[in-house]
Amino acid sequence: MGAGCEARALLPSFACIVVKMPGLARVVGLFVCIAAPLLSQAGSPFVGSDVCRTCHPDVWANFYKNPHYKSIASGKEPAERTGCESCHGPGQAHVQARGGKATIVAFSELAPAKVLDNCLRCHAEKISRANIRRSSHTLSDVVCTNCHSIHKSPVPKFLLGKRQIDLCYGCHNDVRSQFSMPFKHRVNEGFMVCTDCHNPHGAFASTWRMAARPRMVDQAAANEEPCLRCHSEKRGPFLYEHEPVRVDGCETCHYPHGSTNSRLLRRPVVFTMCLECHNGSDSFGRQNSGVLTITATHNLADPRYQNCTTCHVRVHGSNSDPLFLR
Amino acid sequence: MSAPGKLSNLAAVFFSLLLSGVACFAQPTVAPTAEPAGPARGENVSDYNIVDSFETGYRFRTFGGSFDQYRSTVNYGDGIRLLASFLTINSRDGHGKWFDNLSLTTRGLGNDPYESATLRIEKNRLYRYDLNWRLNDYFNPGLRTGGQQGQHLLDTEYTTQDNDLTLFPDSNVQFFLGYSRGNQNGPALSTIQLFDSRGNEFPIFENVRRLRNEYRIGNELRVSGIRFTWMHGWEDFKEDSSYLSGPNRGNDPGSLTALNSFRRTEPYHGTSPYWRGALFTEHKRFALNGRMTYTSGSRAFALDETAFGTSRFGLAAARQVLTEGTARRPVMAGNLTLSLFPGSKLTIVNQTTVNNIRIDGNSVFAEFDNATQTINYTAFEFLGIRTIANETDLNFQASRWLGLYGGYQYSDRQIRSNEASASPGGSFAQPSEQTNILHEGRFGVRLKPIKPLTILLDSSIGRANRPLSPIAERNYQVLGARVQYKIKSFMATASTRENYNSNSVALSSFASYARAHSVNGTWTPRDWFALDAGYSKLHLNTAGGLNYFALGQSITGQQSIYISNLHVGTLTAHFDVKKRADVFVGYSHTQDTGDGRGSLLGPGFGSSLPALEAAQTFPVKFLSPMARLSVRITGKIRWNAGYQYYGYNELFYNGEDFRAHTGYTSLLWSF
Repeated sequence: MGAGCEARALLPSFACIVVKMPGLARVVGLFVCIAAPLLSQAGSPFVGSDVCRTCHPDVWANFYKNPHYKSIASGKEPAERTGCESCHGPGQAHVQARGGKATIVAFSELAPAKVLDNCLRCHAEKISRANIRRSSHTLSDVVCTNCHSIHKSPVPKFLLGKRQIDLCYGCHNDVRSQFSMPFKHRVNEGFMVCTDCHNPHGAFASTWRMAARPRMVDQAAANEEPCLRCHSEKRGPFLYEHEPVRVDGCETCHYPHGSTNSRLLRRPVVFTMCLECHNGSDSFGRQNSGVLTITATHNLADPRYQNCTTCHVRVHGSNSDPLFLR
Repeated sequence: MSAPGKLSNLAAVFFSLLLSGVACFAQPTVAPTAEPAGPARGENVSDYNIVDSFETGYRFRTFGGSFDQYRSTVNYGDGIRLLASFLTINSRDGHGKWFDNLSLTTRGLGNDPYESATLRIEKNRLYRYDLNWRLNDYFNPGLRTGGQQGQHLLDTEYTTQDNDLTLFPDSNVQFFLGYSRGNQNGPALSTIQLFDSRGNEFPIFENVRRLRNEYRIGNELRVSGIRFTWMHGWEDFKEDSSYLSGPNRGNDPGSLTALNSFRRTEPYHGTSPYWRGALFTEHKRFALNGRMTYTSGSRAFALDETAFGTSRFGLAAARQVLTEGTARRPVMAGNLTLSLFPGSKLTIVNQTTVNNIRIDGNSVFAEFDNATQTINYTAFEFLGIRTIANETDLNFQASRWLGLYGGYQYSDRQIRSNEASASPGGSFAQPSEQTNILHEGRFGVRLKPIKPLTILLDSSIGRANRPLSPIAERNYQVLGARVQYKIKSFMATASTRENYNSNSVALSSFASYARAHSVNGTWTPRDWFALDAGYSKLHLNTAGGLNYFALGQSITGQQSIYISNLHVGTLTAHFDVKKRADVFVGYSHTQDTGDGRGSLLGPGFGSSLPALEAAQTFPVKFLSPMARLSVRITGKIRWNAGYQYYGYNELFYNGEDFRAHTGYTSLLWSF
């Protein structure tokens, strides 16, 4: 081990002493504190996290709780992937200049694309982030630091800047409104979170509708709509599928976030929703000859025919009846 | 008017909106207490730092009006609760003996209708375990909004848990083990229509028993800059709900059709084993990732149903239906994404997607009816959906204040089906095939003229031929804009989005027009005071063609109209008094003003059928003011109390209206 490394090893305890020194001694101490790493790291722009903590004790105080601390605890990572400098870049120039945002990678000064590039150097390779470059968030300049707070996260997981619900609602106010409606998935109540259904880092193309939209809805393990993770009784496969459910998805009839209608339906009464498709108009349906119309036995002037699901109870699909009667 | 004058007017409008309390944004439920119990805490024990807090107290509730609707909408009850708890243990040097990080959070334990617990235990570079457990006490009185008397009641409890263990996280070779479970149980009501198509409908009791188990195992390897991930999973799901009914006159007491007894068992057992593989690599000029999954879902089912009663002719009737068979659904999906970085300002991403679903199976159907001859036949149906899509996105950052993006997607979807059956009397088959093509283009602009101000404009336009259903997207365009101004103590956001869709052919001329406008703002002038307000207007206007029978007449040429004008928002204020007490007040208001009509039947357009005309709009109001107080007793103990009112009112119906007073008092310990 060279002399430089030894000097560097001594630095933490020395730095602690320095900040407690008064007056001139402190100035001299800081000079040594700054000079030591420069002398010790001849040829390397990296100074090590111990130097950073001298001037940033507030950040360092709780950094052992940060998932990024494991790179320091490991002691085996190369300098460019260890501690502070793994994200903020080499600190030599920053130390020489005695601070300043221009001499280091300061995320508050970075353009969104640079923030993304910086984080993806380590975090790109998970399958859940494989589509981050094409995600709606990236295209709208919403990048990692818009949601994640590396040093001041109040939540224990994922270093989120706020509770997930508050983060998402911060931009998606219309969605917040939908979860305020009388019938809704229980997000405000804490039973669900947005990421149960959405991948904020970008999802693969949907396997329902025409694969174009929505772009941020995650899929269940078997490539299905995320709804079927919980509503497994509706997943089938059914011998008699209700085609729109499988082809166009649950949103054909339901609002997934919230609705003023029971069961998150798009209409306050069921039969209007059914009639809007089952009207026999040309070129729709599987045979291109229109979706089946109701028969003459269904007198819609009679209230008993105004609630289709009283008889057609298996509207999501049936194994026993092509008309979904059982 | 001068520019400053305009600005001051805009500011006046905005702040009057903030203070009006008419429309604001959503708020949390009244408990647990959201405020932290003070600055970051924690005690060092050995080599660990421990932070712990738990809030326990009593919830109360009074209500008037429809209890069914209250349970469906809010559902909080009385009793003692562990409203929330929080525990983290961190090793101080990253070298804990058994773990380096443990975090446990719970919410609602005791008897709340929404309970959850999350746990993470992690030892750096050795393992990471995550548990997420949730319970939902679900109640739905049936489809009763809009004055309809639905009969499909559900009173079930749904629990779900996800367990994930990662071995050697952050290393080049990782292993994954996972287990998930979902369980739904409880009483419900369903209906059955007997004994023929002109018979009667009967409510029947249903005992819901559903279970889902998923097991998964996987591995991740990184070799030469390429990461390969595979996972194999088995998802089993089953249901053995049973249905029962005793003597019943049915929905139409005037009908001679009556039920003496009904029994049905309908078990099924399905499995969806799946494989998933993914590759990923990223370099300076390009990144490539691909994914391939295959799922071979199948479901074995049986149905045994027996009904005894009286037919519509007043004769004794008995029916037994037996069904058994297997349905299969193999699904293959693949994605290949290529990202190019020709320069620091330009990113090009191309994704090709293939998705192929085939649904087929076979069944044996046997029906025994004492009024008809016994029929035996087999039925077979096939549905295949194959989608191929390719999309390209360009993202260009022209300068620090200007960014542009655009994209194009081409989708080709083929739907094949074969409705077929065979019986001793003959066979029937109706194969069909159709192809849908979609072209979609996207364009967006990002502006940042000054640092606190961000402006986003986006648009997309799509043209599809031959969608499957009359209400699907055919000719659509989306326009959106978002403006955000953010400085340290203030943030304001305004956004608007408009969706147009026209799906017009001969009979059906379905068109929809949806607009969502919203503004919200957060103002924190002092560290002890914060104000938060928002307002959204969600407008929906649709018209679709109708074809139905009424009083023996075929009705065509009419339209199903639906108009919704939803105003939603809340106003919340949060302040603390001399660092001893936190006060939180809020108001949430949701109101659909409908199409403006003053009575159930409207201006008489769209449809001549009163029931259809009455369903053209659904004015409803749902409001909820709340207040919460948290007082610091000692450095580690706080006393909390809260109150929240819920009021639900349907303008044209009153059977489901309710009002409820809920609240809680609790103590929060933290150390």
